[in-house]
Amino acid sequence: MFELSRRALLKTMSCGFGYMAFAGLATEAAQKEKKAADYENPLAPKAPHFPPRAKRVIFLCMRGGPSHVDTFDYKPMLAKHEGKTPDGANQRGRKLMPSPWKFIPSGESGLLISELYPHLRQHADDLCLINSCHTDLPNHPQALVQLHTGQFRFVRPSIGSWVLYGLGTENQDLPGFITIKPPARLGGAQNYGSAFLPAVYQGTKIGDPGQALRDIRVENIANPLYSSDVQRKQLNLLQMLNRNLAQRSDNAELEGVIESYELAFKMQTALPKLLDLSKETTATHKLYGIGEKETDDFGRQCLIARRCAEAGVRFIELTHEGWDQHNGLRARLSANARATDKPMAALITDLKRLDMLKDTLIIWGGEFGRTPAVRNKDGRDHNATGFTMWMAGGGVRGGMRYGATDDYGINAEIKKFHIHDFHATTLHLLGLDHTRLTYRYAGRDFRLTDVYGNVATEIIS
Amino acid sequence: MPKPLPSYLSLAACLAASTLTFAADDRGGIEFFERKIRPVLVQKCYKCHSADTKKPKGGLLLDTREGIRRGGESGHGVVPGNLEESLVIRALRHEKGLEMPPNEKLSDQIIADFERWVRDGAVDPRDGKSAPVLAKIDFERAKNFWSFQPIQNPQPPKVRGSWAQSDIDRFIQAKLEENGLAPVADAEPRVFIRRLYFDLIGLPPTPEEVEAFVADPSPQATQKIVDKLLASPQFGERWGRHWLDVVRYGESTGMERNYTYPYAWRYRDYVIASFNADKPFNEFIVEQVAGDLLPAKTKEERYEHYVATGLLAIGPKSLNERNNEKFLMDVVDDQIDVTTRAFLGLTASCARCHDHKFDPIPTREYYSLAGIFRSTDTYYGTGGGRGNRQAGRVLALAGDSVQPVSATGSQTQNKSDRKRLVAQLQKAEARLAKLKKSGTQQQVAKLQRQIDELKKQLQGKNKKQAPVAGQSGNNALKFMGVLDSAQPQDTQIRIRGEADDRGDTVPRGFLTIASSGREYPIEGSGRLQYAQWLVDPANPLTARVAVNRIWQHLFGQGIVPSVNNFGANGDRPSHPELLDYLATQFVKNNWSVKKMIRSIVLSRVYRLSCAENPNAKEVDPQNRLLSRMNHRRLEAEAIRDAMLAVSGQLDLEPAKGSIVESIGNGDVGRTIQPSRFEIESNKRSVYLPIVRSAVPEMLRTFDFPEPSIVFGQRDVTTVPTQALYMMNSPFVIEQSKHFAQRLLNKEGLQDDERVDLAYRLAFSRPASAAEKAKSLAFVAEATKSADRNKAWTGFCQALLASAEFRYIE
Repeated sequence: MFELSRRALLKTMSCGFGYMAFAGLATEAAQKEKKAADYENPLAPKAPHFPPRAKRVIFLCMRGGPSHVDTFDYKPMLAKHEGKTPDGANQRGRKLMPSPWKFIPSGESGLLISELYPHLRQHADDLCLINSCHTDLPNHPQALVQLHTGQFRFVRPSIGSWVLYGLGTENQDLPGFITIKPPARLGGAQNYGSAFLPAVYQGTKIGDPGQALRDIRVENIANPLYSSDVQRKQLNLLQMLNRNLAQRSDNAELEGVIESYELAFKMQTALPKLLDLSKETTATHKLYGIGEKETDDFGRQCLIARRCAEAGVRFIELTHEGWDQHNGLRARLSANARATDKPMAALITDLKRLDMLKDTLIIWGGEFGRTPAVRNKDGRDHNATGFTMWMAGGGVRGGMRYGATDDYGINAEIKKFHIHDFHATTLHLLGLDHTRLTYRYAGRDFRLTDVYGNVATEIIS
Repeated sequence: MPKPLPSYLSLAACLAASTLTFAADDRGGIEFFERKIRPVLVQKCYKCHSADTKKPKGGLLLDTREGIRRGGESGHGVVPGNLEESLVIRALRHEKGLEMPPNEKLSDQIIADFERWVRDGAVDPRDGKSAPVLAKIDFERAKNFWSFQPIQNPQPPKVRGSWAQSDIDRFIQAKLEENGLAPVADAEPRVFIRRLYFDLIGLPPTPEEVEAFVADPSPQATQKIVDKLLASPQFGERWGRHWLDVVRYGESTGMERNYTYPYAWRYRDYVIASFNADKPFNEFIVEQVAGDLLPAKTKEERYEHYVATGLLAIGPKSLNERNNEKFLMDVVDDQIDVTTRAFLGLTASCARCHDHKFDPIPTREYYSLAGIFRSTDTYYGTGGGRGNRQAGRVLALAGDSVQPVSATGSQTQNKSDRKRLVAQLQKAEARLAKLKKSGTQQQVAKLQRQIDELKKQLQGKNKKQAPVAGQSGNNALKFMGVLDSAQPQDTQIRIRGEADDRGDTVPRGFLTIASSGREYPIEGSGRLQYAQWLVDPANPLTARVAVNRIWQHLFGQGIVPSVNNFGANGDRPSHPELLDYLATQFVKNNWSVKKMIRSIVLSRVYRLSCAENPNAKEVDPQNRLLSRMNHRRLEAEAIRDAMLAVSGQLDLEPAKGSIVESIGNGDVGRTIQPSRFEIESNKRSVYLPIVRSAVPEMLRTFDFPEPSIVFGQRDVTTVPTQALYMMNSPFVIEQSKHFAQRLLNKEGLQDDERVDLAYRLAFSRPASAAEKAKSLAFVAEATKSADRNKAWTGFCQALLASAEFRYIE
């Protein structure tokens, strides 16, 4: 697919020990080296099409469709025209409801952000609010699948799989695409599936919806029979068998098998370690709101995301459920904001501290937004024709708004940003040309963006 | 690398000149055209749609009368007097998908002018001729492409020496010699018999079977084994599963609302039975496409025919789709896709939105096929439910009559479910007691969750359910399938594939490129004629595609590696004459799959070893010429089945139905937890539930294909998650325990003999002295910190986890 230049490869690696393990194995014997050269690890880091701005992605998926007009898309006209019946898709003759929350100019840029996000507001100058997002349908199932795969009419690879396919991953001891507590319905595994891409590019799911993060375990990560040193001896026996076979047959795949066991053995330690937050300082726990009732769960997710980013995981997705507020908006939206605000702000602070925000792309958004028209007195319906996502870090310009909806927030009007554009732009920030990242299946070359997608170059710093 | 366009897609010659002349009273019209229409066309349209454009967009020329009336890919530009059929008007109005000019909607006044012009007859004085820009398919030339050529019956080449033992070998040898290559030596008998067992039945031979063959590896002995394996019921389970990959078999709708298909398993069983019965492959195809329209002699045969049409019903479906027309066209697309790719190796569904870019399949013909499936009702039986806007019924067979019935359960169903649930619950609780003593916390928690779930289900079943209206009696047998609709009719081209954007109506029919010239006058939906057309012996594709699939499963690579694509973008055959020879033999032998397999596995080339062939590495690095056998990894099912076989736990009794049926209708992930499909079973893997988005972990981990997609060749990936599965999963450890027990239970054996037996069971070969020593050393070492059982378990697990266990040479 692309030429893999050694320099580019080393350049894209921040922690490189995956490669070192790779190289170390390859030099064990001259014969083996030759074969290892034939074997291509499909997950090895690959050079992007052009120099990337972001090396990894943390996608904060707000499942259910967060209300943009109450969070990041300030609409003063809603107050002015309260009670009027607007035209527009899905408004269903209902009346406009102004946001119950104040919007406050934040940071030097003065971005208007809802008072729901007192912590995140502190990072306004790092945020790029994309106010002109739109998607094809105002239904959860289709919109969530489209958000992840670009398509809902056919089963297609998810964006994380495409990224992993395009770039490989930096740390071979860990999965390259991790998704924490993804929904089991609404497309389920399709949202992190690899479809026709080879299965190695599918996301690794950690935890199930509804499960408290403090209780999650990874499947098959620990051996129930043996201590680690006996298991190592068992592995030595197994690897002897594998090497014997590799020696008597001419098959590069076998080197892959041998390597996969070494990596798996290391993963047994690396993955639980990644999820083990006990070594993080009390200050860090506090920063993320871990231990506080409301923020504990998402705080843990965000801290794990940071640890994944540090460890070289390429694509990390977190899910926060329950943004579908057809009723109880005031209470439920503020509860959601409280649960996520502090952890998200902490994630930005922490990445900055590590000087990693510059090449870590954070994306926030759900499958669509919500209608400015009221439902059930205290709720809003689905709004697919205009909503907001935001990005931070990873080469994105901070303190800016990109695009706009109409006066009420119904339709994206200026610099419309379709899900295809979101995908094209995300790939672009990672150094991938969305028109060139293709895979041949069923007789033609497929893309994440199909025949669509424009890169919003304005948001790139 | 992009391939050049095939030569038959040339810009064809001109149509006859238009002979329109203008009467005097058109003068006003001409003036209107010159004043209002022409300037706009020149200014706004010619840039992309005139003879001066290098590549006119959409194959549309607007700079002559002829061009604008003929139109482009999407249909006529202008139809005098008819606004709705004039795409220029609809484009100017910026109707969805047709917006022109693309970035600028012209003023209402201009649009009104164009409307008036068309209404008044679209007077147009521009007399010039426009060569049609659309690539017109010249089918005669298109048929020069290799796969559309009639199947030949080539004589096997004459070759020297005694290597070749069959005609197949002669083709192979000739090609090798042409390239200066020689085949490697034959495989050792124990390597060969292992290959044969896995290839034909997906299970390893027993040590006794291996030794018997080693003692007598004569051709007669080989034939006897081949015939025994072909006759065993395990053959159909192995080869049926290959077919289930191709036809995207799944037990739920997948997609955004993932409703279960409780009766999909009947199609699965039909496929297995068909392979076991060696049903002629042409009949197999006809039954799957049009079984409901075939005569049947017995009740069993009628049932079989109906269930076969499950092929058309089990595809993924977008149940949340609001737009009924769109939903139906998506179902049709799935049916076209599966029938053309599975049987013809053509990607006809590419022609849904535009003429196929690479192959001679015009959009018109896609909609000819679409008409057949639009005249067909599909019964997939998801019942209703939240988010399901497209509930469907199933078919029920009672006596001789078949009728659509509601998909939800009946009283008897309820009762038998209850019985099954109670049994499951008891078993699980017994296991829990055991696990609490010896298992990990994780295992206990997992089982506890399963138990809670079972209890919940049982509660649901204890409630009495009202009988469902339209139920055709409790004994009715429910299945998925299709029937002809009451009023079969042709359908319209959908412009750019948009379901609601209708173009010309096209008569039902088939693909010109694969037609023999024989007529199949449409009756009813036309499905039966489509099926007959598919298996017309003069159809150049069907038999080639079928034998190529068989070849692939025996060598790891097809003669045409792109098994689902015999079009321009697919691969070319490495041995075109051999492919034709096989296809001819196949048809001659009444499309017998077993005979075809038999002739291939008894060839010399199938018997080659996997030894390295240094010379071939340069000339033929991909081993397409088969100077040796490919070293292949087993599929997920065969790995799992082999583990069960070696551990002594394999239950060869076919499963009755599917857990999906006992769970019933529901939305996976919402009303049914996906974990419920992670069942424990000692039956062969082909019987595990294949619920889309909830494929069992073991299968998923080892490259089981995405069940929503027509798959021809599985991926082989090697990743740490597979290693973790082998090292730590409860299933592998469980089988290792049984495997160890099996060794330890053998009385009178020394430990080194136990080790040897283990190697024979797992690898079909004895252990070497060094292997014995190392294995015993591990057992001794492990015994220091664990009991004897545990130590042997670890040893056995190492064998099951090894590459040798899951590769066949």
